[in-house]
Amino acid sequence: MSRYFKKLGIPYLVWLFLLAIVPAIIMVVLSFLDCEGTDFSSASLTLVNFAQFGYSSTLIAFLNSLLYSSITTLICAVIGYIVAYAIFRSHFKNKFLILTLLILPMWSNILLRVNALKSVMEPHNIIVSLLNKMGINILGPSLAGTPLAIIIGLIATYLPFMILSIYTALEKIEYSLEEAALDLGLTDFKKFWKVVFPLSFKGIVTGSIMVFLPCMSGFAIPEILGQGNIVLIGNVIDMLFRNMNYNVGALLSVVILALIIGAIALVNKVDKEGDTLI
Amino acid sequence: MEYEVAKIQEYGYKDHTKIKKFWNVFSKIIVALTICLLYISIVIIFIQSINSSSNASEFEHFTLKWYFSITSNRALFNSLINTFVISISATLISTFLGTLIAVGIFSLSKKHQKLLLLLNNIPLLNADIVTGIGLMLVFSLLIKIFPYFFGWKTLLLAHMYFTLPYVILSVLPKIKELDKNMFDAAIDLGVRPYKSLFLVIIPAIKAGIFSGLILAFTMSFDDFVISYYTTGNGFDTLSIWIYSSIGRKSLSPSVYAFSTLFTICSMCAILLMNLRGRKENKHAKKK
Repeated sequence: MSRYFKKLGIPYLVWLFLLAIVPAIIMVVLSFLDCEGTDFSSASLTLVNFAQFGYSSTLIAFLNSLLYSSITTLICAVIGYIVAYAIFRSHFKNKFLILTLLILPMWSNILLRVNALKSVMEPHNIIVSLLNKMGINILGPSLAGTPLAIIIGLIATYLPFMILSIYTALEKIEYSLEEAALDLGLTDFKKFWKVVFPLSFKGIVTGSIMVFLPCMSGFAIPEILGQGNIVLIGNVIDMLFRNMNYNVGALLSVVILALIIGAIALVNKVDKEGDTLI
Repeated sequence: MEYEVAKIQEYGYKDHTKIKKFWNVFSKIIVALTICLLYISIVIIFIQSINSSSNASEFEHFTLKWYFSITSNRALFNSLINTFVISISATLISTFLGTLIAVGIFSLSKKHQKLLLLLNNIPLLNADIVTGIGLMLVFSLLIKIFPYFFGWKTLLLAHMYFTLPYVILSVLPKIKELDKNMFDAAIDLGVRPYKSLFLVIIPAIKAGIFSGLILAFTMSFDDFVISYYTTGNGFDTLSIWIYSSIGRKSLSPSVYAFSTLFTICSMCAILLMNLRGRKENKHAKKK
């Protein structure tokens, strides 16, 4: 079979080169230039873009992004492991159905979901209004615009990714290994710590990356839930590109890209066959 | 004379029944909370879709009028058509090409395979904003050659770019599991290589192709950031339309109606697929 179809992979290499490598090169070049948009004719070489790192607003946005995505990843890892493990150990015959139920919300538009979540976080929301009609007088939480709101929004959006990748890792553990552990006299708890958990660890790593990276760079969720009070690095990049400041925007994107290349290297180290990624 | 009876604890037995009971309750609470967190927005969207007031924070009375005005809201309807056209065509093209590419990648030597798979991870793991901006930069370099490039063409290319890796990664493991003798047998029987690819290999890996197709459609349909950067003026997808409507605080409840309908349809599809799967299992057991 391998004799005949070697040629089929080559166009994809060209495609990836043009759409994945070339943009990165353009970004690196742009970050050393001073020009208008992508008009290279009036460009001049400069290092002035790097002054952006001196602004406290950029630094705060970076630190905010790191902080929010780390907290979200940590909470998602803990909750995700518990949920994935509970589903894995449950006696339901139809685990596929439960997993699809967890993914189903992802098929509604993400912005719509986040916007709905925001509306619940306001004191006067539709549920309060419904309850008022039934004669129950309460006020909703006034969370919108606070850091907590953003973290809840990020968790609600990205938790399914974590659950799925941990579940896939758990499912790949051979049951005979657990039987061996029990035969050799380990208690259930020790078996979990010494056998199951280490084997499912790569699921946590890939899941964390799939949660951390979009949290780090997203701009729509903090914009809607933070109501402009909290600025993450994604918002800064978005603003820069909207104001046609491509050079500084490209520079900040390169920084994010470097982080992501690190993450890809990590995935490659933990998961050599690339089988837990989706 | 009586000996002291050794207790089971002295053999190293530890009583974990309490911890297990606690874990049982605790994990159920966490699962329930998670489902609440994931579905609360769906429920809110549903309530807003049957609310006669277009004020998102007040419930007036029950109505179905938003369901009937999905098609009459021009901007929303156009963006819906655009979204469906782009994601369905991008999904179909990506599924077809991705399957062929996966066969190609499988045929390469180990070293080249690894390199290509590493590059294949870039669109998957790269931040949406970086992907979107990068594609926009490349496309804007081409604008001098094709002046009216931005619009559905760029959007389709961008969607193909980020859906192809999902198809490839779902198809590749199935090819690896394949019995290689099947293909050789077809060749020995005189079928030409490409014909046997379509007659022998593709039917054998259709489960992988199907899951790739579903994944690709999910990603393409729900995408906001990449579409936001790569589309042209006037060509809105659903996400872009929602984003600008939220910005103007003029979100029409018709979109909630559409979202609810879509959720119900996908729920029915999943249940149907599940029932069919069960029937097939029963048949297989009988045989």
